[in-house]
Amino acid sequence: MSHVFECGENAALVGYVYDECDPRERQAIDKHVAGCVACAAELASLRSTRESLANWAPPEVGLGFQIVRSTRSLPETRETQPPEGGGSEARSWYARPVPVWTQAVAAALIFAAGATLGVVRGIAPTTEVPGAAPISVVDDAASISDLEALERRLRAEISRIPVATALVDEVAPAASEEQILGRVRTLIEESERRQQRELALRTAQVVRDFDSQRQADLAQIQSSFGQIEGLTGAEVREQRQMLDYLIRVSQQR
Amino acid sequence: MHWTDEDLVTRSRGGDLDSFNQLILRWERPIYALAYRVIGREEDARDVCQETFLRAFRALPGFKGQAKFSSWVYRIALNLCRDWMRRQRRAPTVQIPEGVDPEELATVAGPAESIEDLVSRRELGTIVAEAMALLPEEQRTAIILKEYHGMTFQEIAELQGCPLSTVKTRVYQGLSVLRRHLETTGMAPQLVRRI
Repeated sequence: MSHVFECGENAALVGYVYDECDPRERQAIDKHVAGCVACAAELASLRSTRESLANWAPPEVGLGFQIVRSTRSLPETRETQPPEGGGSEARSWYARPVPVWTQAVAAALIFAAGATLGVVRGIAPTTEVPGAAPISVVDDAASISDLEALERRLRAEISRIPVATALVDEVAPAASEEQILGRVRTLIEESERRQQRELALRTAQVVRDFDSQRQADLAQIQSSFGQIEGLTGAEVREQRQMLDYLIRVSQQR
Repeated sequence: MHWTDEDLVTRSRGGDLDSFNQLILRWERPIYALAYRVIGREEDARDVCQETFLRAFRALPGFKGQAKFSSWVYRIALNLCRDWMRRQRRAPTVQIPEGVDPEELATVAGPAESIEDLVSRRELGTIVAEAMALLPEEQRTAIILKEYHGMTFQEIAELQGCPLSTVKTRVYQGLSVLRRHLETTGMAPQLVRRI
């Protein structure tokens, strides 16, 4: 059953404005509006209000939501990032974040390995050498003068230790077996001490050389930058002079 | 190959995440526009939009296709907007575009200002938004769904859970309030001629 329009039936006018009424109702409204000023005005008013609504637009925003499965296998949305060779799943193993506990374990292992190596090589002697100053640990912060002082001290200590061949010459031919054994032990101990000092000396030298090389490299880099800046400045000056010349020429003409 | 919403829903229910993301791509802008017009705040509208699709994804196993996918997500979005407004306990806000002085807006009917100046400063949309914010939620939502989303009165009635005639009445009452507001700001008569 079709609806028949009656004057002042505003809901029907809304249907008419939005073109959502059946043909018979539309026909009835058309006929009525042609003779009814009030309904015609209402209709025009509804249309103009609709037109004003067209000016209200939401702001342009970047959306790009996506559902991704998290590591906990719970779904989550995220905004799409610019493609950079795939998501986190595509990253290489070395580029993935490492858990804190793994980092702590790795640090502890490295420290333990370093300490073991130091004990085995004798860098950190467990017993005090008589007459010798304890060897300090050389760190990155040591200056060149510190390293040079250390080297001098170590060379002096090494020179004070009698060489093994001289000690061998002192062994009496008629000495007893125990005395020979004692001498050998002394020689071995002294040899060990000597090796420890030499190792420390070499380490100090390496650190000093590395530091010197680093400073030389830095100086070279600074010098190169200075040259580049100088060149750039010269080019700018040349261009400025050329520009001034062109301006002068154009003004003369 | 072009998949319909129903195809994509079926594939999504089968575990195909890409299909659901295609649905998001298809509907995120309308949903964002709906949320923005209902709420009036850009950031909150984005949040509502995001939450809408997240909820839709979680509820996907229970979606049997008894309604269109679009109607379903519209319903979710409208519920979220309603929750947002209930939490905020306030009417939708009106965001004023950059470069527009709110005090100037208040005196928008100044005699020296022409409608061309107003239009050029993009205030018209703001005034409409202001007027829309004055409407009760049901009227505003009905107008938004009808005017900007092209829904039929029947679809709006189903979304709002009310008779079709009620929707028409809401739209009519809303439009009448808007017209009066535009008239009081001195915009309506000129606006008709300008546009």
